[in-house]
Amino acid sequence: MTLKEKIKTLGNAYGVSGDEFAVAKIAAELLAPYVDKVEVDEFGNVSGYKSCGKPGAKKLMLDAHIDEIGFLVTGITKEGFIRFMGMGVDPRMLPGSTLNVMTKKHGNILGVVGAVPPHLQAPGDQTKALPIDKLYVDVGMPYEQVKEMVRIGDYMTFTSEAFDLLGDQVCGKSLDDRACFCCLLHALELLQGKELDVDLIVIGTTKEEIGGHGASYRTYVDKPDLAVAIDVCHARTDDNLPGDRVQDLGGGPVITIGTNSVPRFARKVIEIARAKDIPYQLSGAPAATGTNAWSMQIINEGCATLVVSLPLKYMHSPVEVLKMSDVENVGRLLAELALDIDGRWQI
Amino acid sequence: MNDINKVTEILEKLCSADGVAGYEEEVRVIIEEMVKPYADEMFADALGNLFVFKKGKNRREKPLVVSAHMDEVGFMAREITEKGMIKFLTVGSVDPRVMIGRKMKVGPKKVPGVISLKAIHLTTPKERTVAPAAGSLYIDIGATSKKEAEKYVQIGDPCYFDSPYEEFGDQRIKAKAIDDRVGCAVMVQLLSEELEYDTWFVFGTNEEIGGNRGAVVAANRLNPGYFLVIEGTTACDVPDVPAHGHSTTQGEGVAVSIMDKGSIYSRPLIDAMTKRATEEGIKWQYRRSSNGFTDARAFHSAAAGAKGMGIAVPTRYIHSAVNVAYKPDIEAVLRMARLYVKECSDNA
Repeated sequence: MTLKEKIKTLGNAYGVSGDEFAVAKIAAELLAPYVDKVEVDEFGNVSGYKSCGKPGAKKLMLDAHIDEIGFLVTGITKEGFIRFMGMGVDPRMLPGSTLNVMTKKHGNILGVVGAVPPHLQAPGDQTKALPIDKLYVDVGMPYEQVKEMVRIGDYMTFTSEAFDLLGDQVCGKSLDDRACFCCLLHALELLQGKELDVDLIVIGTTKEEIGGHGASYRTYVDKPDLAVAIDVCHARTDDNLPGDRVQDLGGGPVITIGTNSVPRFARKVIEIARAKDIPYQLSGAPAATGTNAWSMQIINEGCATLVVSLPLKYMHSPVEVLKMSDVENVGRLLAELALDIDGRWQI
Repeated sequence: MNDINKVTEILEKLCSADGVAGYEEEVRVIIEEMVKPYADEMFADALGNLFVFKKGKNRREKPLVVSAHMDEVGFMAREITEKGMIKFLTVGSVDPRVMIGRKMKVGPKKVPGVISLKAIHLTTPKERTVAPAAGSLYIDIGATSKKEAEKYVQIGDPCYFDSPYEEFGDQRIKAKAIDDRVGCAVMVQLLSEELEYDTWFVFGTNEEIGGNRGAVVAANRLNPGYFLVIEGTTACDVPDVPAHGHSTTQGEGVAVSIMDKGSIYSRPLIDAMTKRATEEGIKWQYRRSSNGFTDARAFHSAAAGAKGMGIAVPTRYIHSAVNVAYKPDIEAVLRMARLYVKECSDNA
């Protein structure tokens, strides 16, 4: 499987925060060839361990989350339509979309989010966004059948098969953050056959979109010395305003600097990028980074955290867009970091 | 294979094709291939309408025209920005609120693209209450410059929702362009059957942009005595809409129009045909709205005028990427159309 195929396979899989097991299974299979041991824990976190075999070696944890944004069924109307709430989605993405309803007993079923027919619209209505509580999912079945198949509390996701855009860009759902898990796979690929002085712990974690719980747990268990959260950041789009914090798609990994992406750690990684001629971009973060690094940093006695980001357009939509060269360069940067760390390495 | 499966097989092929007003050729070529074996006469006119004549066992004194339109609502490239984004116009009426987050097919090469918005994290709750106008949206095909984009798309090129035909739920179909490929599919099926009377079939153009300009010239050419227009019409049997606002209801069968903004249909014909439908066990309902108009407007007022009916498949979410139809309703429309073609004669 090529790197791009891995991204599409993981992105197309379904796993909303709290039920990532289907994704974890795929992630574990993709990770297995590169590490000594793979585990999926009871929460659905995937961990791969690659030991350098040297006593006293530092432990470097590389994290990407495998959960995705989604929706929760909150009710079924008497006409058999599903009412729902969203988790992290701009409701303006919804009318005219298709959703995947993940039922417990009947597997995944297709639903469509309806649109308001023109004959019921008043002048000016088309400028008003429809709030999520006015929307409904049509699964094309009568009430009794829907009630039998769909339960309140069932998850729903966007449906979408990832596809290519021009310029070696990939478009699909859940590239946030499964594409970053593929950056980790790429780093491991580059490290094949290379001697390391550091033990690697590569994790695909759960529940990031609701607070980073999966990464906290793995950090607690695995006790890394250094932890890097690899997540997406906003890439510039045509509708940005001057104040929007955005990076360039195709500009390479974004290295965050600030209290949650420890400045001395970040400076070292910048030096590595320069030395190895890897393009990079910088982002200052005075406080929270909105990534797993925020929760990982204060587990146990604390660890040195770093945030490396992959630029992504249209984040939290069914049509997120990344550029393959960024995925490759994030992977390269992480591989070079792993190669750079030796027994004398200090932050 | 039973009737409904034959029609849905045709419908899938037709919904997979693309054609906004003025660009119906791709759809027309597929229909030509399908109906060629059954046509006694077949030609296209200057506006792209496809005329198909099929002989029946008997002649009619005044011709009957059965018609559905091939064009769908969609988009057209109006400007390519310096950064390679495609600004667009709509072809026909599309609510901008159903465009955001959709996958698109762009230009003659049908390169993939998307319409989206910047990430939710970069918006305020207040901004999220405002639906952007179509003019502020754009299609992103991944190009980073005007020059790169222009290799794939030119101003004036059509663009479409990319939304595959899928069956789901209880005998439901989801696709773009069910309005009005479903009418075309029913006509293709009728053409493959033996007919009682000579009949003209017109696969029309330019319906979605107003003025029924394709149908006007078709009606002028054929000067029909009778017509039957087959459509996909709004079904609004959804939550928060009182029953009297449904217009049509899925599962209640063929929707029979009484009047709309373009036509008043022949009451004697409506009464006679709905009576016959009831006798034949064909489910039917009135279309309980006078909104919108169809190509019937052109046929019933052409030359000295013609009598006719408008029937339709109740279709949810028309003019979006996710039209939804119910197979038994499509079957009811097929049976009603078949009955009409068989029994609507000078003696009827």
